[in-house]
Amino acid sequence: MEFFSNKKVKIVTVTIVVAVILMIFGAAGTPILSSGVNFLTKGLFQVSASAAAEGEKNYDELKEENNQLKKEAADLRTQLIDYYDLKDENARLWKYYKIKRENPSYEIMPASVINRDSSQDFYSFSIDAGTSSGVHKDDPVITENGLVGFISSVNAVTSKVTTILSPDLQAGAVDKRTKDSGVVAGSALYADENRTTLTKIDANAKIKKDDIITTSGIGGIYPENLIVGKVSEINYDKYDATKYAVVTPYENIKKVTDVVVLTDFKNKGEIKRSSDKEDN
Amino acid sequence: MDKKFTIVRYFAYGLEILLLFILQSTPNLLPEVFGGKPLLLIPAALTIAYFEPEIPAMFYGIACGALLDFGYGDNIGYYTIMLGIICFVLGWIFRDYMVVSFLNATAFSAIITAGLICLYFLFFYIFAGKDEPGIYFLSHYVSRAVYTFLCGVILYFINKGLFRALLDY
Repeated sequence: MEFFSNKKVKIVTVTIVVAVILMIFGAAGTPILSSGVNFLTKGLFQVSASAAAEGEKNYDELKEENNQLKKEAADLRTQLIDYYDLKDENARLWKYYKIKRENPSYEIMPASVINRDSSQDFYSFSIDAGTSSGVHKDDPVITENGLVGFISSVNAVTSKVTTILSPDLQAGAVDKRTKDSGVVAGSALYADENRTTLTKIDANAKIKKDDIITTSGIGGIYPENLIVGKVSEINYDKYDATKYAVVTPYENIKKVTDVVVLTDFKNKGEIKRSSDKEDN
Repeated sequence: MDKKFTIVRYFAYGLEILLLFILQSTPNLLPEVFGGKPLLLIPAALTIAYFEPEIPAMFYGIACGALLDFGYGDNIGYYTIMLGIICFVLGWIFRDYMVVSFLNATAFSAIITAGLICLYFLFFYIFAGKDEPGIYFLSHYVSRAVYTFLCGVILYFINKGLFRALLDY
């Protein structure tokens, strides 16, 4: 019995017993230890196996493989760029589709901003669509966030857009909530803050801050219900007895890069009177 | 007489004008300082005119002016005519009556740039009946004139370097 009282023998015995227990559990379908060990060593094996496999190749084979991988990487990079281009185009087309779906009468021509010349005032810009794309002078220019401006001059391949920040733009507009009407026109006082104004509002009008302003459609140049922006301030005109509202467009006119030209829409060119709309 | 360097120089001016036009017109590229962006083609035309004879100077003035005018979609107009005349006169004065020096060039550039931009404001803002001319002039045109003039200082040295490096003796 002196043999079993030896410390080393005790350790061996305990180890064997534990091993047997683990073996029994393993055989029963619950390989706890091996699962744990494999989980911890999986990554290491992957690296070492890979290194070992590479070690079997000679220099020429590795060089060839390296060249092939570089080529594949270049192809994948090209595909990735194409993917991003397609993704952008897809997003853009979805926006146009949404505009068209919501307004079936709109004939639209998507365009990109190509020029913002320093000599032009009120953040006017040029787009890459002209008469050859069906664009005409005075066509409205919009984005999915609302009215941006109108085509103030056009040639075969480009057009100049005067923005809603410019006093040159005059569009009939209404407060969607109160139906108060006025004229949207840019102002030197607010253009730099990407804001425009709704002028000639009756002094008794109920218009208030946060009201949404849309085009009225009167005049036949802009279709009805194009969003102009949100009222951010109301002031009295210093020259007459009317009020004017400062309107913040939902689009950043100073930075816009993609727009849509409305080449045709329902009631284009038809001049309506205010009373016609009330009758309807 | 061999004009090899002159031809290369004229070609270089052309490239410079094209590059400046792209720089000036590309959306969101040049930073806006106090509401103004520089009209790079004005100092480009002026600084070329300081070094070149009146006829080539005038043609470069017309080219820069035309790009300023119809590069934006408008027809040839204000800048084409003004820069054509001014550059012709500058080429003539600096060829026959004055020495090209930094001081002279700076003084002429400052006066002409300010004059051109103020006249533009008069014709296309005040006469067009746009609102708040005083506020808009101070917030955009003053900074535009100063920014343009400062860019002209850099362009003076660039064109002086081009002229000296590509001169036929």
